[in-house]
Amino acid sequence: MTQRADVVIVGSGFGGSITAWRLAELYVAAGVDPSAIVVLERGRRYGHTDFRQSMDIDHLSDIYLLIEGQGAEVVTANAVGGGSNLYLAASLRSPHETFERRDRRPDDGPTRRMWPEAISRRVLDPYYARAERGLRVSQPTWDQVSKSGGLWAASLNAAGHTCDRVPLAISTQRCVNAKWCHTGCIFGAKNSLITNYLWAAENAGVQVLPNLQVELITQSTARPYRYVVQADVMDNEGSSPTRAPTGQQVQIECKVLVVSAGAMATPPLMLRSRPFLPAMSAQVGRNLGVNGDHVAAIEFDDAKVRSVLGLPGYDEFYKGKPITTMSYDWWVGRSGHAYDGTRFTLQEIFLSTLTNFLYDSGRTVPGGPSFWGLQKKQAVAHWANRIELLAMVEDTNDGTFLAPPPAGAAVRPDPGPIAVGTFDYALSDQSIAVRAAANDAIQKVAANQGLGLFMPLTETQGVYCAHPLGGCRMADSPDLGVVDDTGSVYGYEALYCIDGSIVPTSLGVNPSLTISAVTERCAERLVSRGADFGLPAKPAGFRPRVPPEHIGPRVVPSPS
Amino acid sequence: MSTRSHDDLVALLSRRQVLARASTLALGLVALPPVSLSLPISPPSTGLSLSDATLQAFADTMLPGCRVDRTDLGNPIDPLAIAGVDPLPGAVQADALAVSHHPEVGFDPLAPGFLSDLEARSLPRGGDFLHLDFASRVQVCLDGLDFSNPSRTLWELGAAIAFIAFCAAPLIRNATASEACGYRVMGLPGVAPNGYGDYSYGLQLSTERTPAGSLP
Repeated sequence: MTQRADVVIVGSGFGGSITAWRLAELYVAAGVDPSAIVVLERGRRYGHTDFRQSMDIDHLSDIYLLIEGQGAEVVTANAVGGGSNLYLAASLRSPHETFERRDRRPDDGPTRRMWPEAISRRVLDPYYARAERGLRVSQPTWDQVSKSGGLWAASLNAAGHTCDRVPLAISTQRCVNAKWCHTGCIFGAKNSLITNYLWAAENAGVQVLPNLQVELITQSTARPYRYVVQADVMDNEGSSPTRAPTGQQVQIECKVLVVSAGAMATPPLMLRSRPFLPAMSAQVGRNLGVNGDHVAAIEFDDAKVRSVLGLPGYDEFYKGKPITTMSYDWWVGRSGHAYDGTRFTLQEIFLSTLTNFLYDSGRTVPGGPSFWGLQKKQAVAHWANRIELLAMVEDTNDGTFLAPPPAGAAVRPDPGPIAVGTFDYALSDQSIAVRAAANDAIQKVAANQGLGLFMPLTETQGVYCAHPLGGCRMADSPDLGVVDDTGSVYGYEALYCIDGSIVPTSLGVNPSLTISAVTERCAERLVSRGADFGLPAKPAGFRPRVPPEHIGPRVVPSPS
Repeated sequence: MSTRSHDDLVALLSRRQVLARASTLALGLVALPPVSLSLPISPPSTGLSLSDATLQAFADTMLPGCRVDRTDLGNPIDPLAIAGVDPLPGAVQADALAVSHHPEVGFDPLAPGFLSDLEARSLPRGGDFLHLDFASRVQVCLDGLDFSNPSRTLWELGAAIAFIAFCAAPLIRNATASEACGYRVMGLPGVAPNGYGDYSYGLQLSTERTPAGSLP
């Protein structure tokens, strides 16, 4: 039996949760029950106390999905709240130059501004500010910078560079600096969506339905309903979940459909639905990007940390917050289009101990093993002396989704955390060159006065990414993109994509805040147009509010 | 070389050539039978199958360790698996074999194909992988992980399992350094229910470009 709702939102990450809250505000202001807004999420529901400071495989399989495609491995999230449960909370505005970029893949259309004309940093600034308030972003003091971040700052300073503190969506009052953000914060200190936007939406009356994976979108002829979504009920609960469809299905008919499943799931869903949405742009599934993610590491010589930097040593990579400092020195001063495609930022980051696999040992001899073997073991034994670095480079969006998998975002052969994605990713010359430049910059800082060993990303081919973007990018016309600057799908009324899939370029910063700002702008337009689609009209004097915060049950540290 | 071994090798090389032409996807190797079953090697005394002993030897080549006879979880270790080239615990002690068999890792269906390729590359270097010395094992793995090998992806998965076992302790819920040898070697305490008070140098260690963190 087909259920009905005013609005269906597919996905509960930044795009879905922020949209849900803004629509909930509209409904409440108009005196209409927000339960007609439904958020569908493929993963299960978590509270803070359900997370673990653990990489045991059951936990990883619950909250992560690593999608391996041809040429790229992409980390995605899998729970109510989406990527916000696992993000490292760095919340930066993308620099002005990002929105003016003209660089692109050689086969990617005429020379043009890659972002829609309507969007610039100046235009987005009010929405950035709105998102910062909602996510409770603040800049840490130097007293709150991790030793690993401080070491990166000191190393840059010794090499004649600058380094800034990174704004974070973390409560410094609740954070105990355990560096376990990547498996979900058990302390309720990380400002994830289940503490703000999504909680606020649900508290206002929005229905959030976990364990429903939307597989197909078709059109409805029963106006004012326009779309029907078909969703599989997922087996995610209990002690031995298969994390696969149960065989049960749900159908929901809606007036407005917002697809916010993220850059790895929205494009496959739209591709699978294309036979029923034939006017959709041919750009769907193309221009998948990785936000220019490029990682490397430095193993520090403790004696040099003392003698060169004057610090009291370093062997505490595991303490603090996972991201606290970054440098803009390879970005600032490169403001003209001649520099498009050459800029990058360098951010100190703690990914997890698992990323040991990604780096060369720093001790490699010609003809010998690079990322494994005895020398790698010695490198691993110095893991606590290490920092990891995330370069976010101006690359091109080099990925293309092929035929979509029969269900979901990727083929998941077992209940484990690894799935096979049906996309390919072949780095362009620009994408390779700008990564090489980032490597060179890191290597010089590491080598300065013998501070440490540079550990590059190993020769394993392809890219590793936690920040997928694109695949349904926004553009000024349907021949160049899938949606317009408000997230509205070209050719279809009241059908929206609002998530990272519409972001057309890499950003130079961690993308969650930009996805949030773009979503705030798209949601504002949707709220204004709601009456056109059969939703409540916006009352006079309606103003967006900061979503209330709710921490919920949390682990309270014992006095030490 | 015995006629039987020679025939085995020729058959394997033929399969590899077919594979090289047919596919770069490691999944294609699933259909191959495990060559280790046909090799004239006595089963080890630990109760481990030869395939499992060989997987342990591979894990020890990826992240070598000191010789021990039991893993962190108390599982047996083949006496030939660990070459003993490093004084600290390695991937075998960290239960790499048990991780490889975990149903959520998904390696079991791929293991026969992987072992076939591993042994085919080992025979020219003096015998089956388990009985090679460490230097020869390294050479075999350099071959297998070379980009010219169409089944390299499968080898990377095998290597990843060794790293996952050692670096993540995926079979121990809320692991600590006292339980997980990989954590001890890395210097990671594990769970930190009270966090850390001494996490910062508490000093401004660089000049900054912006007052609020984000560039204009």
